[in-house]
Formats: sequence, C-alpha cells, structure tokens
Amino acid sequence: MSLPYFFERWVSGLFLQYAKIEFMDILKVNNLTKKFGKFTAVNNISFSLKEGEILGLLGPNGAGKTTTIQMLLGVLTPTQGEVKYFGKNLVDNREEILEKVNFSSTYTQLPWLLTVEENLKYSSYLYDIKNRDQRVKKLIEVFRLKKLVKEQMKDLSSGEVTRVNLTKAFINYPKVLLLDEPTASLDPETSDYIRKFLIRERNQFNVSIIWTSHNMAEVEEVCDRVVFINHGKIIADDTPEKLAKTIEICHVVLNVPDGLKRTIEVCENKKVDYKLKGRGIVIDLKEKDIPVFLHELMDRGVVYDQISIDKPTLEDYFLQVAPKKSKDEV
Amino acid sequence: MKFNRIYALVLRFYYLFRHSWDRIGDAFYWPTIDLMIWGLTSTYFRSFAPDASQIILIVLSGHMFWLIVWRAQYEITVNLLEELWNRNMINIFVSPIKFSEWVTSFIIVGLSKAAMSFPFAMLVVYLAYKIEILFFSWYFIPIILLMFMTGWWVGFFVSGLILRFGTKVQTLAWTFAWLIGPFAAIYYPVSTLPGWAQTVALFVPASYVFEGAREIIYKGYTDPTKFYISFAVNLVYLVLSIAFLYSSYKKVLEKGLVKVY
Repeated sequence: MSLPYFFERWVSGLFLQYAKIEFMDILKVNNLTKKFGKFTAVNNISFSLKEGEILGLLGPNGAGKTTTIQMLLGVLTPTQGEVKYFGKNLVDNREEILEKVNFSSTYTQLPWLLTVEENLKYSSYLYDIKNRDQRVKKLIEVFRLKKLVKEQMKDLSSGEVTRVNLTKAFINYPKVLLLDEPTASLDPETSDYIRKFLIRERNQFNVSIIWTSHNMAEVEEVCDRVVFINHGKIIADDTPEKLAKTIEICHVVLNVPDGLKRTIEVCENKKVDYKLKGRGIVIDLKEKDIPVFLHELMDRGVVYDQISIDKPTLEDYFLQVAPKKSKDEV
Repeated sequence: MKFNRIYALVLRFYYLFRHSWDRIGDAFYWPTIDLMIWGLTSTYFRSFAPDASQIILIVLSGHMFWLIVWRAQYEITVNLLEELWNRNMINIFVSPIKFSEWVTSFIIVGLSKAAMSFPFAMLVVYLAYKIEILFFSWYFIPIILLMFMTGWWVGFFVSGLILRFGTKVQTLAWTFAWLIGPFAAIYYPVSTLPGWAQTVALFVPASYVFEGAREIIYKGYTDPTKFYISFAVNLVYLVLSIAFLYSSYKKVLEKGLVKVY
C-alpha cells in the first residue's frame, strides 16, 4: 500500500469519525423483491447502510439473506426494486460501483489448483490497484497467510480458505464490504482477531460492512444495527441492544443443593419455562417477576447457593421472534 | 474494455495451466498421440495406393487444422467449466469485469494455447513424417484464422448451453465440435458425403476451408471465394453465438450465478 494513499484513507477516516458528521447512505435498497417462479424469496424489502456502519443481516436459514446479498452484488437480477450505491443505480453503474465493493463468503470457493498468492495476484488485476505487489504482501501479513502463500487452495483447511477469501475481499480497498458469515469455520482466536481487524478497518477507513452471521454474540459485538429478515420480509431494523430489550424474559440461573424438586413445582405452578442443569436450574422469567418468584422459593424452604440473572440477548430475540413469525406467516 | 481485467483472467488460466497435468496433456500429449496414429494409419493406407502420394499430407494437415478448431472451442468451454467446477463464477462477477472482457479473455487464452500446441504439432509432423505444413504458404494465414473463427463460435454456443443447463451438459465441451466434424470434411472431399450431408456441409464454414486446403495440396492454389464464403458464414455464426451466450448469461442472472453448476 502506498504511504500517501494509506495516509489519505486514514486521515479521511479519522476526520469522519471525530467530526461527528451525519453520515450519508452509502447503500440504499428500495422495494427489492425476488421471485423464483411462484416462490417469493425476498419480498419488497427496503433498508440503507450508512458510511462506516456495520449492519447485521440476520434471519433463519432460507430467510432470504443470501438472495439479498446476491442482488446487492449484481449477480442476481431482482424481480422488482432497485439497489443504489453512493447514490448511483447498480444496474447502470455496475463497473464503477463494483470497483469499490467486495464480497467474501464462507460458502464460495477460489480456484483450488491455484496457490494463495496466485489467487490474490490475479484478483488484484481484476481491480485497478496501484502497487498491487505491496498490497498483496501487506494483506498476506494482516491475515497471517505468510506460511501459506505457496500452498494450493485444495490443501488448505476450511478456516484457512475463509481467511484467504477475506483477504481477497480487501484487495481493492473496498468502501463497502458484504460478508456472508465471515468467521464461520474460524477458530475462536482467529475469529476474534478478524472481528477486531474489521472493526479497526471501519474505524480507520470508514468502510461500510454488511455482515451475515448465525453467531448472535458476534453480531452484538460487531454490528451497529441489525436488519432481521424472515420469509423474505424485514421484521425488525434496530440496534442489537434495542432488539434484545424487546424480549422481556430473563434467564435466572440457580444452583440448588436442597429443594430442586420444590423449585420445579413452583415453576410448574406458575407455568414458567425451565431447564435442568445438574443441580442447577435455568428459569425463564420476566424481569419484574423475579423478586416475587425468589420470595416464594424462600417461603418453601428452597436453598440456593448461587444465582445469576442473564439479561436477554440478541440470541433470545432470534430464538423467540424467528419461529413465532414463521408460524404466523405459514 | 480494460486491459487489466482481461489480463487478470488470462493470468488465472495461465496459473491453472502451470498446475494442471490435465491441461498440459491437452496441449501436448493428445495432439502428439493423435498425429502419430493418423500419420501411421495414412502411411499404411498409402502402401495400398502408391499413387495417392498426398494422402499423408491431406490427413495430417486436416487433422492439424482441426486441432485449431478444437483448441479454440475447448479453451472457451473447458475454462468456463473450470469456473463452474471451482464455484468461482461469483468471484469473477462481483468484480467490475464486463461480459465483453470475460469473453475476450477466453479468446486470448485459446489463441495463446494454440500458439503453443500448434507449432509443437508442426514440429511433431515434421520430425515424424518430414511434412512441412508451411507448404500452404500465404494460404496458411486465412486457413488458421477461419479455423479459429469456427472454434470460437462453437465454443461460445456450447458455453451458452452450459450456462443455461449447468454441468449436466458438460460433455458437449468435448463432443460438440465432433458433431460438425463429419460435415466439415476434414479428411475427405465433400462429394464423398451423401446428398443430404452435402447440403448440411454448405452451412459448415470449415468445409470450404478443408476443400480449399486439399485443392492447394493437389494444384498448388485454390479459388479464394471458398475462403470468403467461409469467413462470411463464420462471422454470422460468431455474432449469433455471442448473442446466444450473452442471453444465457442474462438468463443465469435471473436465477443467480451461484446456482449454476
């Protein structure tokens, strides 16, 4: 990477970050619909992505996330609606837009007989990159691929392939990145490293990212906002915190050396869900009902030596909303 | 069109060539085996008819020119299949590459592979049978060009079919060219064909080239009209095949590039 270019990107990123400018919509999706015959995979969805924002695109399997991403990349023609990047229509400005966009998915492959270095080199020519050798070298360092550069893709583990895919996605200094489960198949340490790297890229260079994942903890950590899709429709668009807060149920975890049977009786009388874990029990309760419930346990002589109250998370939201909506809509 | 993007795909296939024994075999091993078999067969046949002194030249030059059709179409169709087998289409088309650049890269790869394997085949023929294909003199240039054109339209047409129907029709990549082979009259005159097949041959541009090539062998010259007709028919087919490939590409975008395999 040439120093002036790096410096320019870094300064503009810092400026935008600290100037607290109201960021523009870098991507706008209007009334996007995709039908395959009679089946509607994506049904009239609209959302936007702001400059420097990390947006989680969530939903159960078959919800329409991948179909949406393909339409955002121009490799699937929408039945209806439009996709605009930087205020320009993707269909009419495909070449100009895709110079600044890139994509990585755990589920796509790179030519398996080519080495890591060869894949990155030929990819670098697909984009008009200055100092491509330096760029490839830099990314190989960043994504810890130094020992693998001469290896053919067919000889890599799935986690290594994911890292090479991500490296390829950064080759063109993208302004918008579409990442389909970017950390799936990575070990926890590498996942953490990649997440931190992506957040740093966003902070320094104002890269906008659309991120799909089934790891809700990861989405909560990384995403500024979440668009939740189910059956091709957007059913929620908010911050992970606010979505989690819509779930009233907390998980109360008790370790009960004496009185587990009585605790279960209380749960069944009050018709609350519970799960047994050894001598412990996890009880799903509304936050406001917790004091009354614990008081009743005391009245019945239940002894617990450990208690923890887990606030609702995005995963709780996912588990509660996705199946419920499915039943409603089927 | 941007050169860097065309170069990217040419580079991608050059890297593949370096790593793939299959592809190296396609370029050198099979042409050599074919030429040896056909050369020896025609030598054997000549022993029955010593007057037919040109038989080896006719068979081997026919085979070598057909090799160009084969290489040109093969590089287009098998390189497309290579992308499908590797599930790499999406990586190509999420980049700013244009359809025209993609097509151009296939043509360049085909040309460069032919530039490697054809001189090699010429050398084999010269060493084994003391036959110089350059005997065709300046006719050599239009013959080569017309053979390439045939290879390209066959390649684009088959690629269009593969894009539409996926790898379940991949066998066409190896077989389709041979479907027109009998009507192209590679080793024998068009007059040898039955009546209906002679009519079909009129619409096969390669048949005019092979007829012309045989005339050059016998008389030392040919009527250039044959080449003009071949060029015109090839050009029509080339335009139609690119249009078909483009419409297949658009069709594929309707169901999604990742779903083609």
